[in-house]
Amino acid sequence: MTRPEAVWSISGVGYDRCMQKPAPGGYFGKALVVDLGRASGTVKPLKESVLRSYIGGAGLGAWLMHECCPAAVEPLDPDAPLIFVFSPLVGTPLTTSAKFAVVAKSPLTGRLTDALASSHFAIAGKLTGHDAIVLRGACARPSVLMIDGDSVSVVPADDLWGLPAAEAELRLRERMGPGWRVAAIGPAGERLVRYATISHDGRHAGRGGLGAVMGSKRCKAIMVRARHKVASADPRAVLAAAKDLRERSFGAATAKYRELGTMANLLAFNAISALPTRNFSAATFDGAQSLGAEEIAELRQVARSSCASCSIGCEHLYDGPGGKKTRMEYENVFALGPLCGVSDADAVIAASSLCDELGLDTISTGGTIAWAMECAEKGLIDVPWLRFGDGTALLRAINEIGARQGIGELLAEGSRLASRSVGRGSEAFAAHVKGLELPGYEPRTLQAMALGLAVNARGADHNRSGAYEADLSGRHDRLLGGEPHVAGAIETEDRAAIMDSLILCKFLRGVFADPFSEWAGLLSAVTGWNVDAEELATTARRIVLAKRLFNLREGWTRDEDWLPERFLSESLELESGRTATLSASRLEGMISSYYRARGLDQTGLPSRATLGELELQELGAEARQLG
Amino acid sequence: MGSPKATLEWHGSTLLRRVTGIVGRSVDGPVVVVCAPGQDLPALDPAIEVVTDAREGRGPLQGLAAGLDAIGDRAAIAYVSSTDVPLLHPSFVRCVVGATNDDVDVVLPEIGGYRQPLAAAYRVELLGAVEELIAADRLRPAFLFERCRVLQLNDEAMLRDAAVARLDPSLGSVRNLNEPADYERAHALPPPEVVVERFGTLAPRSRPRRETVRAWTLGGVAAAIGLTLDEHIVAALNGDKISRDEQLPLAAGDTVAFMVADAGG
Repeated sequence: MTRPEAVWSISGVGYDRCMQKPAPGGYFGKALVVDLGRASGTVKPLKESVLRSYIGGAGLGAWLMHECCPAAVEPLDPDAPLIFVFSPLVGTPLTTSAKFAVVAKSPLTGRLTDALASSHFAIAGKLTGHDAIVLRGACARPSVLMIDGDSVSVVPADDLWGLPAAEAELRLRERMGPGWRVAAIGPAGERLVRYATISHDGRHAGRGGLGAVMGSKRCKAIMVRARHKVASADPRAVLAAAKDLRERSFGAATAKYRELGTMANLLAFNAISALPTRNFSAATFDGAQSLGAEEIAELRQVARSSCASCSIGCEHLYDGPGGKKTRMEYENVFALGPLCGVSDADAVIAASSLCDELGLDTISTGGTIAWAMECAEKGLIDVPWLRFGDGTALLRAINEIGARQGIGELLAEGSRLASRSVGRGSEAFAAHVKGLELPGYEPRTLQAMALGLAVNARGADHNRSGAYEADLSGRHDRLLGGEPHVAGAIETEDRAAIMDSLILCKFLRGVFADPFSEWAGLLSAVTGWNVDAEELATTARRIVLAKRLFNLREGWTRDEDWLPERFLSESLELESGRTATLSASRLEGMISSYYRARGLDQTGLPSRATLGELELQELGAEARQLG
Repeated sequence: MGSPKATLEWHGSTLLRRVTGIVGRSVDGPVVVVCAPGQDLPALDPAIEVVTDAREGRGPLQGLAAGLDAIGDRAAIAYVSSTDVPLLHPSFVRCVVGATNDDVDVVLPEIGGYRQPLAAAYRVELLGAVEELIAADRLRPAFLFERCRVLQLNDEAMLRDAAVARLDPSLGSVRNLNEPADYERAHALPPPEVVVERFGTLAPRSRPRRETVRAWTLGGVAAAIGLTLDEHIVAALNGDKISRDEQLPLAAGDTVAFMVADAGG
C-alpha cells in the first residue's frame, strides 16, 4: 500500500441537513455514498419513515438498491452499487447482533442478492457513523477503501492483489493497527468469478457473487474504524433484554450449533433422504458416515469460536491442510462432499479451505462442479479427469475456477451460464434457480422447501426462505406439497425477512416463543418506536415484496419462479417404500397459492391493493414502468 | 369386552389409535373411521376422518358403504380393517392393497381357512353394489363377493410376500380380539422390535448411535432411550414421516431416527 490517492472528509456534505432531526435510537439516519471512480463521497439522509419501514440489513438494503442502482445496469458495471448495510441492533449488547448485510445486483442471477456476514466489521462499520455504505464506480487500480469516521480515502494496494482475503485482512491490520476492521475479497473476486465472496474475520458474505462485484470495482478491501457512538432509546430495557436473551441462548434451542455446529445436519438429512447427492441424482449418500460431525468431530475438531457479540459459538474449526484451521459447516460439506460424490473427509476439508482461500461460495462451487462432473461422465464436456467421487479432481477444479484457467474459465460463470454454453440437454440438470445454485435441501423430499427455493427473490436459497423448517416440523407430509406447505414457506420467509433486517442470527430463532412480539419489543427498546407484532408482520411482507419489485424492475419474468427440470421429471425412492415425486402441476399449484397469499396476480405481479397496503406504490410504479 | 373395542387401552394409546395409525402409514390416501351414531371415540390423529354410520346394526356392509362413500373419488382402492387388530402390520396392508389389479374388485385374505372381509381391499366403485345389497337386506359380505371379482390370498400366498414373511410371519395382522382373554393375551405380548438411530447432539457418546429397542409407540421408544419429544426433537419413521406424536404406532422392523428439530445451516 502506498499513500492515499484521494482523501476527503464527508463532514458537511449533506451531513447537517440529515441531522436536522435526531435519528431514532440505534441509527445515524444516513448512508455514506462513495464514488470510487471520482474519489468523492456524499451523505445520503435516511428518513425515519424509511428506517421504520425497512429496519436495516437486508430490508434497508433492498430499499437502497431501488434508490441507488441504475435500472438495467450490468452487475459488474462500475455504476452498479455495492452496499454494506448495518442495522439498529448492531452495537447493542444483544447476542448475535453484530451482523451486516452486503447487497448488490448479483452477477450470477442478474437479480437482487443480499448476503450476511458478522463480527467486528459490523460494529466498526456502523460506528463510522453510517447506517449503510454505498460503493459506486471503480478504482483506477487495485485499491483499498478506508473509512475512518467521516474521513474517507482510497489507497492503492497493488501489493495485496492476488492475496487470499484473510491474508490481506491480516496485513492491513498489521499496517494500520488493530482498531481497523477489514472486509476483503480473494483471488476469485479479483478475477470476477461469479460466485466470489466478501470475507471478514473468516466469515463470508457468501452467496450471489458479491466478491465479483467488489472485484469489478478493483476494491481489494474496505477498512472501517469506529469514530462515533450510537445510543439506544431505552438502554436499561435493552440491557435487560440482552441479559435475558443471552441466558436463553445457552438452552436446548441452540445446543446443536454449540455442540456440533450445522454439520450435525448431514447424517440426519441422509437418514430422511434429504441429502443432495451426485448433483441431485440421489438423496442419500453411501459415504455420508465418513463426513458426519458425529463421526469426525472428536478426531478432527481442534477449536470452537464465535462471532463478536455472540453467546452461541457455532464455529467449529477442523484440522485442515498444513495444520490450517478450517471452519466447517453443513453447506460446505454437503456441496463439496455428497453433491460431488466425495466421501474422503480430508479432501472435503481441503476443498473447503481452498474455497475460503480463493474467496469462493462453497455452495455454488460444489453445485457447479457437480454439474460439470455429470457433464463429463455423460460425455458432454471433454474433461476426462473430472469424475464424481474423486477428491483430487475436486481440488483441481476449484483451483482452476479460482484462476479462471482450463475448465475453470467455464465453471467460473456458474452452472446456469455454463450449461447454456454447453447445451446438449445439460440445462436440465444444472441445479439452480434464477442462476443461484441450490443449497443442501432436496426439494423432492422437502416440498415446502421446493416452493421456497422456487419463488425466493435471491434464487435457490435456504437463508431467505427457511421452509425446510416447515417440512421437518412434522405438521405436514413433506412429500405431498400443498396448502400447508405454502403457509409454512410464507411463514419462514417472513420470519427471515425480519431477522435479516434487525439483524439477529438465525441460529437464535429457536429461542423465541413468540417471535414477532419479541422482536418488536427489542426494536422498540432500541429505537424508541412503539412497534408491535402486527406492524412487524407487515414490515416482513413489505421487505419480501420490495425485493420482488426490484427484480421485476430488472426484467424478472414469471418463468424464473421455477425449479430445474430434473426435480420435476425424476423421482426418488425412500427407504419406507414411498416414492417422492414433485410434479410440475403440484409445483405450479403451490406457486399459485403463494402468489395469492402474497397479494400477487397469477403472473407474479403485485396488485394495486397490495402495493397500497404495504405502502409500496412508488417502488411498484417504478418496477412496472421499467420492468 | 366390557368396554368398546375402539377405546381399549393399548400401551399408552388405544386400539383405534393404533389401527388407524398403522393403516395410515401403509396407504397414500385418506383414512376414514366409520362409527355408530353417538359413539365415543378416543383421540385420533387430526388427519383421520370420522363419519357416522347412517343406520346402526346393519352389519359390516353398512359400514363399508359409509366408508366407501366418504372416500369418494380420492382413491380407487380402500383397505378395510376392523378395530380390534393390534398386531396389524403395514406390510400386510401393503401386500393386500398391492395385490389389486384391473381384473379384481376385492382382494380377500383367507387366513387359517377363514375369509377376512375386515382385512381386505375393496374397489371404491363397489359402493353402488354394496348399497343395492343393503337395500335388499342382504347384509353379509359373502353376498358382495358373489357379485364381484374376488382374489383370495391364503396363508401361503400372503407369506410369499417377502416383507410379510419377514415382519409378520405368523400373520398376526388378522388376530382379532373377541373376548377379554384375547385382549389380555395380546396385551401381554412383547412390543415389536424397532431400530433406533440418534443424530447430532442426540447421539450418545458412550453407546452405539444405532440400537434395537422394543416399543409399541414412538413415545415408548423415546422413553426407552431417555428422550422427551419436545419442540427441539423430532423423529423420522423409516426415513419418511416426521413426527413428535408419542402415540404414533410402531411395528416390527421399523427404524426410528431421532434428530434435533433445529435444522439449517
